[in-house]
Amino acid sequence: MSEKVISIDYLARVEGETAIEINIKGKEPQELKLKIFEPPRFFEGFLVGRKYYEVPDIVARICGICPVSHMTTALRAIEKAMGINPSEQTKILRRLMSLSQMVSSHLVHLYILAMPDYYGYPGAQEMLPEFTEELSRLMRMKKVMNDLTAAIGGRASHPVSAVVNGFTDLPSSRMVEKLHRDLEKTEDDAVRTVRMVSEFPFASFFRKAEYVALNAANRYAMMEGSIVSSEGLDIPEEDYEEYFEEEEVSYSMAKRAKVKAGGPLMVGALARLNLKFDQLSPSVRKLAQEVGFRTPDHNPFHNNLAQSLELLYGIQECRQILENLELFPEDSSYRVRAGEGGAVTEAPRGLLYHRYAINARGVIEKANIVTPTVHNFANIEEDMRHLVRQNSDLPERKIALLCEMLARAYDPCFSCSVH
Amino acid sequence: MKKIRLGIFKYSCCAGCQFQFFFFQEHVLETLGVVDIVYCKMGTSGGEKEGPFDVALIEGAITESWQVDELKKIREVSRFLVPIGSCAVNGGIPAIKNIYPEIEVEKRVYKDLSVIHSVKAHPIDEYVRVDGYVRGCPMGERELLELLSSLLLNTKPSFPEYCVCVECKLKGIICLLIAEGKPCMGPVTNAGCGALCPSHGRACYGCWGPVSDANAPALAKKFEQLGLAPDDIVRKFTQFASPRIEFRKGAEMYE
Repeated sequence: MSEKVISIDYLARVEGETAIEINIKGKEPQELKLKIFEPPRFFEGFLVGRKYYEVPDIVARICGICPVSHMTTALRAIEKAMGINPSEQTKILRRLMSLSQMVSSHLVHLYILAMPDYYGYPGAQEMLPEFTEELSRLMRMKKVMNDLTAAIGGRASHPVSAVVNGFTDLPSSRMVEKLHRDLEKTEDDAVRTVRMVSEFPFASFFRKAEYVALNAANRYAMMEGSIVSSEGLDIPEEDYEEYFEEEEVSYSMAKRAKVKAGGPLMVGALARLNLKFDQLSPSVRKLAQEVGFRTPDHNPFHNNLAQSLELLYGIQECRQILENLELFPEDSSYRVRAGEGGAVTEAPRGLLYHRYAINARGVIEKANIVTPTVHNFANIEEDMRHLVRQNSDLPERKIALLCEMLARAYDPCFSCSVH
Repeated sequence: MKKIRLGIFKYSCCAGCQFQFFFFQEHVLETLGVVDIVYCKMGTSGGEKEGPFDVALIEGAITESWQVDELKKIREVSRFLVPIGSCAVNGGIPAIKNIYPEIEVEKRVYKDLSVIHSVKAHPIDEYVRVDGYVRGCPMGERELLELLSSLLLNTKPSFPEYCVCVECKLKGIICLLIAEGKPCMGPVTNAGCGALCPSHGRACYGCWGPVSDANAPALAKKFEQLGLAPDDIVRKFTQFASPRIEFRKGAEMYE
């Protein structure tokens, strides 16, 4: 029986460090391992003993791409633990910040991490000068989104003004108007992005997963509502640990999550669109139809297409929010109380969970963090197993590239996953 | 003009400094005109890991031995080697764990410790000679630009070597420590951020790490006068640069 070995020692164009090892005998992948060797930093270990108000700044440093998500999730968990109800203004600013970060994150993933694969380049650097127009478009959009995140958070990466129960500073009305104008110009670029991504030669590969996302009745949920899945799960965020579990994996520094009653799950842009496509704006839905995206979509490579649609939606909603945004300084005082609280948000890459137990002095006694890539880990391996089986006749080099592209399509973040 | 051969390496961190290259806004395209990124796993497949490099930029703290082996090799093949960002420059957030026994921290995260090979988090200059520091968390854009342009001009880069207070004064921000009694780390923290937190009504929390002439004991005493408990003072000086002697001096008075 023929034997093939796929060995990728350090997967390029993803955030963080992983290797992929596959042994194929005949048609069957005998052994398939996503060896996430990203060194552990033990956030859940050293957060114990720290003060609650340090946590948002510290956990932002779990990830350089989605710091806003870690910050916001931690803030919500801490507020729940201490019985604090932030104002509507705080919630809307957090939503703006999260949407702008989501667009930024999708942009970098699509243009810099994913796109080179589809045109046969090792990286975006090598795509210059031929793709100058595309990369200039990326820079234009990225700048506007960075400016938006920074206008609210003070800094695009690792924001500083978001604190427990509010913000230490608010953007001026002039700034809000300027951003509103900038976003208007960005929308055309976003439409072009969707069209560009829809022309990527995606692999024809289908495997249904259990899609999991946050869902709310009245809006495209980012940090509210309940956790729902395509298999009928519908639970409040407080019950997360009852329905999901993490296991340690001998060959990986990241743990692997699953639905207790089910198995592997998929989170992220494709999962969100599969569950709440109807909540996108009519123009995004129309464009989706035009470029041939239909839900439910069971091709994990189409996560890229889902990201592009979400990116357009994100820009539209940010603009809408800014249109009528009037901000007022608020009283953000609160009382420190002992308690325990868990919160779930939609990070760019999917469901993110933080939980903290805090004592009466505000010292953290327990911390638990489960990231999108931990949620996707098992499903990436399952998809890869099927992908390898279907393509086992191809030469090793081509199978390896397909596996790399599959992993990248998930937009994994291994720094987050290990944390 | 010959392009600068640049290598970017990541150790234990959030990858946010590498990501700053994509955040580098209007400078990215012009930078790529004069810089050849010959190794950067996050940006490009393959690459020339063995060098040689005109400059190697290192992000992340050192927390595992294989990283040291690799780092020494990079040093051998690089004309300049520069740590970028707080983790590489000062140990950063990963070095919070250094103040606790390692096994206690590890046990809270993993059941099976036989596969964990982690050591205390150290800055890059504990293992190899470095040719400068690009500070910030994430690294400052201005700092990166200064480094790259001075490499092109063959001049010595000029980084701010004074504390955040200077930037506050230049911006005309009323002192949060003296006037408002907020426990601000500005007096001991290296400038470069443009007094970011104070500009947004918030006390500096020291994310750029210590300035070289920091007087941490004096500031720690000031914090005590403001009513901070000893353990809170220790936390202040162990959040972003716990391995650095400049900050240690503030923490150890209250441990």
